[in-house]
Amino acid sequence: MRTPEPFQKESVSIAFVVEKMRKRVGVEMEQCNTVDIEKRFVTDVNLHRPGVALAGFTALFTHHRMQIFGNTECRFLMHMGEDERQSAFAKLLEYDLPCIVLTDDNTLPDLLLVAAETRGVPVFRTPVPTTAFMYRMRDLLEDQFAPQLTLHGSLVDVYGIGLLITGPSGIGKSEVALDLVERGHRLVADDVVIASKKAEGVLIGSGTELAQHFMEVRGLGIVDVRAMFGVRAIRHQKRIEVIVRMHLWDESEEYTRIEMVDETEPVLEVDLPLVKLPIIPGKNVTVICEVIAMNHLLRHYGYNPAEVFKQRLSDQINSGNGPGRPRRGIEWFEHDFE
Amino acid sequence: MLIREVTVRNRAGIHTRPASMIVREGSRFKSEFFIRKDGYEINGKSIIGVMTLAAEQGATLELLLDGPDENEAADALEAVFERGFGEPI
Repeated sequence: MRTPEPFQKESVSIAFVVEKMRKRVGVEMEQCNTVDIEKRFVTDVNLHRPGVALAGFTALFTHHRMQIFGNTECRFLMHMGEDERQSAFAKLLEYDLPCIVLTDDNTLPDLLLVAAETRGVPVFRTPVPTTAFMYRMRDLLEDQFAPQLTLHGSLVDVYGIGLLITGPSGIGKSEVALDLVERGHRLVADDVVIASKKAEGVLIGSGTELAQHFMEVRGLGIVDVRAMFGVRAIRHQKRIEVIVRMHLWDESEEYTRIEMVDETEPVLEVDLPLVKLPIIPGKNVTVICEVIAMNHLLRHYGYNPAEVFKQRLSDQINSGNGPGRPRRGIEWFEHDFE
Repeated sequence: MLIREVTVRNRAGIHTRPASMIVREGSRFKSEFFIRKDGYEINGKSIIGVMTLAAEQGATLELLLDGPDENEAADALEAVFERGFGEPI
């Protein structure tokens, strides 16, 4: 099956960044001049401390990044004479900087703030120490600029494992998701899952803004899982950990009989374990999904049932005293008539 | 695989009724069917997917078809868009 092409954001407005930093991580960014920050954009995930650029070396100045003025930069500016300071700062402003952030409660002289304003560069002040600020800002920008991909399928949190249920149209992915929700698991998204690569090897899935927790069940129409099952039945996002691919039973294909997972599928360069699940009459896919999740959990705890079973078998073969016929699980259970 | 570019012609854009028309038409064919808008791509046989495009009048979409009957499917789908889903243009 074809996978759509990845996409990612090209720019994020400074206003959006400031609002998220305030509301979500509690980092205040007070604007020191009056530039319209709705119209300023950052296009790079990285941050830059322009110490060397202030000292006059601008050959490798990454000016398109958000500029962070920590104690070093601010003290350096203040130790210069007035004229020198203004020309050093003006040199920086020859470039189109997305914004300047003064961390650790630092300030700049009003003249410099005005100079930035005339060049349309917003300046912010935050009480948060430089390293802590940069860490949080990076986390936000990394999330915003992460490569994304739309996947066709349902994402359900089953016992804490993110199962992505995929398969051709009309095979019953939504029905399985609904059944899992009914059994107390939590729906992340149905039909359209947006996967974003949060870190190396970590894929986070969520629904779309419009369709979040709405679901189409063929023959019924559109249902709202949150309205029907309540908040306990949903979640905003979940790491995608296992892909379950449903498909019609194919005589010619050889199915896994012992190992639960022996294949992986790359999504945004993250290798996810893939379980191919043939659909046959009488098969309860929901229960199988629960078993897949539990088995994945067991493996996390270092228990691989297939390995354990293989070991038991070879132990018996090698013991040399195995009987000709299989023995009962318990040889004699005294006076048990049940 | 083939790609066709189409434009949303009706005034109301792809709301629920046009979305179900697109899905119904696409599902008649064996070929895989995707729709792309602004780099965002969804499965054209999923009604929720088509609706998340929230395509307005004048929006250009790319129809991607892949399969044994991709030509017939592309023609049929193009016709659906050309008619403006039978709605006021």
